[in-house]
Amino acid sequence: MIENTVMLLIIVPLLFSLLFVALPKSLYKILAWALFILGAALSVNLVLDGTGVVQIGEPNFAMLENVVLILEVLVILFILAVSAKYKNWPTLGLGIISAAIFAYTFSNVPKVEGASFNIDQFSQVMILIVNIIGTAIILFATGYMDQYEEHRHLNRQKTFYFTMSFFLAAMNGLVMADTLGWLFLFWELTTLCSFVLISYNMDEEGINNGFRALALNLVGGIALSIGIILLATNNVSTLSGIGTYAGTNAAALAAVALPVALLCVGGFAKSAQMPFQSWLLGAMVAPTPVSALLHSSTMVNAGVFLVVKLVPAYAGTSLGTAIAVYGSFTFVMCSALALSQRNAKRVLAYSTIANLGLIIASAGIGTPLAVAAAIMLILFHAISKALLFLCTGEIEHTIGSRDIEDMSGLIKKAPLLTTLAALGMVSMLLPPFGVLLTKWVSMEAASSNPVVIVFLILGSALTTVYYAKWLGTILSSSMDKNAVPHKKLETYFPLSLLGLAIVVTSIFVFPIYDYFVKPQVDILLKAAPAISGLAGEFTTEIGAFTYIVIFVVLALAILIYLATKNMFTPRMSSYYMCGENNLERDRLMFRNGLCSYEKSSVSNIYLQNTFGESKLTTLGYAISIILIAIALLGGIGL
Amino acid sequence: MNMNDILTIVLVLIGAPILGCLASGIDRRITARLQGRVGPPILQPYYDVKKLLSKDNMIVNPSQNFYVIVYLVFIILSLLMLVFKQDFLMIIFVYTVASLALIVGGMSTGSPYARVGSSREIMAILSYEPVLILYALAIYLLTGTFKLTAVLDASSPLLIYTPLIFIAMIVVLNIKFKKSPFDYSTSHHGHQELVKGMTTEYGGPGFATIEIAHFYEYVFLTGLIFLFWASTPIIGVLIGILVYLLIIVIDNITARVYWQWMLKLSWSVLLIISIVNIAYLYYSQAKLV
Repeated sequence: MIENTVMLLIIVPLLFSLLFVALPKSLYKILAWALFILGAALSVNLVLDGTGVVQIGEPNFAMLENVVLILEVLVILFILAVSAKYKNWPTLGLGIISAAIFAYTFSNVPKVEGASFNIDQFSQVMILIVNIIGTAIILFATGYMDQYEEHRHLNRQKTFYFTMSFFLAAMNGLVMADTLGWLFLFWELTTLCSFVLISYNMDEEGINNGFRALALNLVGGIALSIGIILLATNNVSTLSGIGTYAGTNAAALAAVALPVALLCVGGFAKSAQMPFQSWLLGAMVAPTPVSALLHSSTMVNAGVFLVVKLVPAYAGTSLGTAIAVYGSFTFVMCSALALSQRNAKRVLAYSTIANLGLIIASAGIGTPLAVAAAIMLILFHAISKALLFLCTGEIEHTIGSRDIEDMSGLIKKAPLLTTLAALGMVSMLLPPFGVLLTKWVSMEAASSNPVVIVFLILGSALTTVYYAKWLGTILSSSMDKNAVPHKKLETYFPLSLLGLAIVVTSIFVFPIYDYFVKPQVDILLKAAPAISGLAGEFTTEIGAFTYIVIFVVLALAILIYLATKNMFTPRMSSYYMCGENNLERDRLMFRNGLCSYEKSSVSNIYLQNTFGESKLTTLGYAISIILIAIALLGGIGL
Repeated sequence: MNMNDILTIVLVLIGAPILGCLASGIDRRITARLQGRVGPPILQPYYDVKKLLSKDNMIVNPSQNFYVIVYLVFIILSLLMLVFKQDFLMIIFVYTVASLALIVGGMSTGSPYARVGSSREIMAILSYEPVLILYALAIYLLTGTFKLTAVLDASSPLLIYTPLIFIAMIVVLNIKFKKSPFDYSTSHHGHQELVKGMTTEYGGPGFATIEIAHFYEYVFLTGLIFLFWASTPIIGVLIGILVYLLIIVIDNITARVYWQWMLKLSWSVLLIISIVNIAYLYYSQAKLV
């Protein structure tokens, strides 16, 4: 029964968040396993239930609508209270504006008679992401948080697990809700949860960054709520209704352009696109599981989810082109910024923003092929990025640093962890893995727009470079060996699961496309992309991607390696150091002209002077704000 | 997969390294003559490989030869995909796998020389990859598909529509062959070139594999030039050979530059002329027939 599954998907994480509060810390591992199993079972069950619309009618509706109203009031009161307590005036101001808009909506906008949840294939994909990856991240946290808190003398795990589970509930609601009013509540709840989680450490930096996230997302929330009010004047009160209404005639399409642009701005803020990117970069002060959750399965995905859902209202219009240019601009800008970063978490954060930009660019292009790429990229990116974040967290616990340069020699210190991290990186930039496949599809789709495709090409080259540096560094072997990985089931099970998921989803990319993506594009655009999949091939109207061949060749390479490994008896030696090796002390040492010893150290090239944050951020702000302004002006019809 | 395809695969697997080996031998001979030396026999690269295979397998890291095998098989795969007229964008991505495998292989040894070479080679990727993909884009704009079938079936040559990209591609080839003035990723040692960048820690069979992969790569890269005049194969082959000779000459008459210089050249001149060429294709709506 689809109704029950929908309700359970919201209620079960809520219930678990209460259980985390009620039960002692010793039971958290069991709870996390239970949540993982239940989440996976429920999401698979939802897929098996099929698609459909769940109507909430009387008498439940009146009761639930009141709950929604009360929660919305509570959210606003909470925002006002914390921002007043910490004397954060900008946030307080934004909170007051939100409250005013809420009061206006409550008194002036006509009430809806019923609410509905719309389960389509896209929602199913999102539910799978949230409830399998999200719960796997919580499971990882049970093996991570004790050590984290020990280092920082914290004891806030009840808040942590409560908020994490609550986050999943809100996210589940967000991706299933069709009624805009309810969607808005879930939207604000995820904002609130991210605020609590980012400021988890309760130090000055944490609280400041938490407020930044809150303030920027409130800006997005305000844009979203104004958009919803404007839509209500056209009698549109559901997400799916926007596309239907826009499809009626050209006048309707023009009428919804501005509200749709505003909703997209809300989505951009949530997805941390430029100029809102600073909140996601600040979010890395939080514990790693929080970053993983924000970056892969929840928060930022909500933004692109909304933007993709709105495709029918802007596909093929000038608004769509503006969105495509904006997304591809973010893609190239953030890829360039990622190149200059040494901090692994910052590289990942910029990479997330860049990939979300790519999703938005694909959605903006608006052809069936591009929209299919956008949906698939959300899935593949979520898996790879969750794995990379969790690996970075575990690397930090192993070597005590998140600086990429400190990670050299990691393959000797923690082979399994390094292999998984390397798999995550390779899956972000090389064939035959899913992210590259979707990048390939979106590049082929974008070829019709000169500006977008040039941005994508530059961004793609930059992406290869910043991941290649990191990949080479962790795989490089050094002669010293001091850190010992601690192998815990709660840590390595989620990591291995995600690693396996990358391989499996990449192998079964065509069935996934056929089952989830194709029908969804059909719903959104009334036309399915001309993609055909023969055995192991992904053929679009303008190209073909024979990914199975690449898998075979990769397997062949491994086989050849294993077969020839001992054919030529290997003999270990040490590096060539130009005749100046100092074998007594450290094999990386040189003897210099004064006959004393110096250690040789090599670092990667970061091009700080060209692509550094101080060089590019201002430019990025300026251009992205101009592009958003163009999108909005285009919406008004100027 | 019929008999013909299998025959083609076998032909490529055997023929390409022979061609590459000869090309490499000719390169050494011409270079020697330009420097006033007699030079080694044309088959010297083959003797080198044969000798390397008989040497001890000296390694600093048990996994370093794995990356070399990945490099070899993905070079072969990209060459085969080119021969079978596959999606050009895809070929570039597969080729990137090969390039990255060699870079990671160099870094995996942990040697300072190899790491310096590898990080410079990463910068080379940043320089040439956009141009390569713009080349793919030009093919798409002219034929309406990324598959190479259309280019090879067309009756007019690609070159007359893409002269600027052709110029940019010559520089890209120069970078990919690791020839002067862009040979910094393979050389660091004061003046004599005994330490060869990324491959510093490779010797014996591992290094022989790299050499064999280079033979395939020579053919693959010249194949990219061949595409510019694929409508008349004989002219295409001639242009390929001419570009190869030109690169040997450039190698001998230029001195090594900083990698920063290459990056500037690529992101200013090469990218701009390629984009101008692309813009022309957009606005003229020219089609290859």
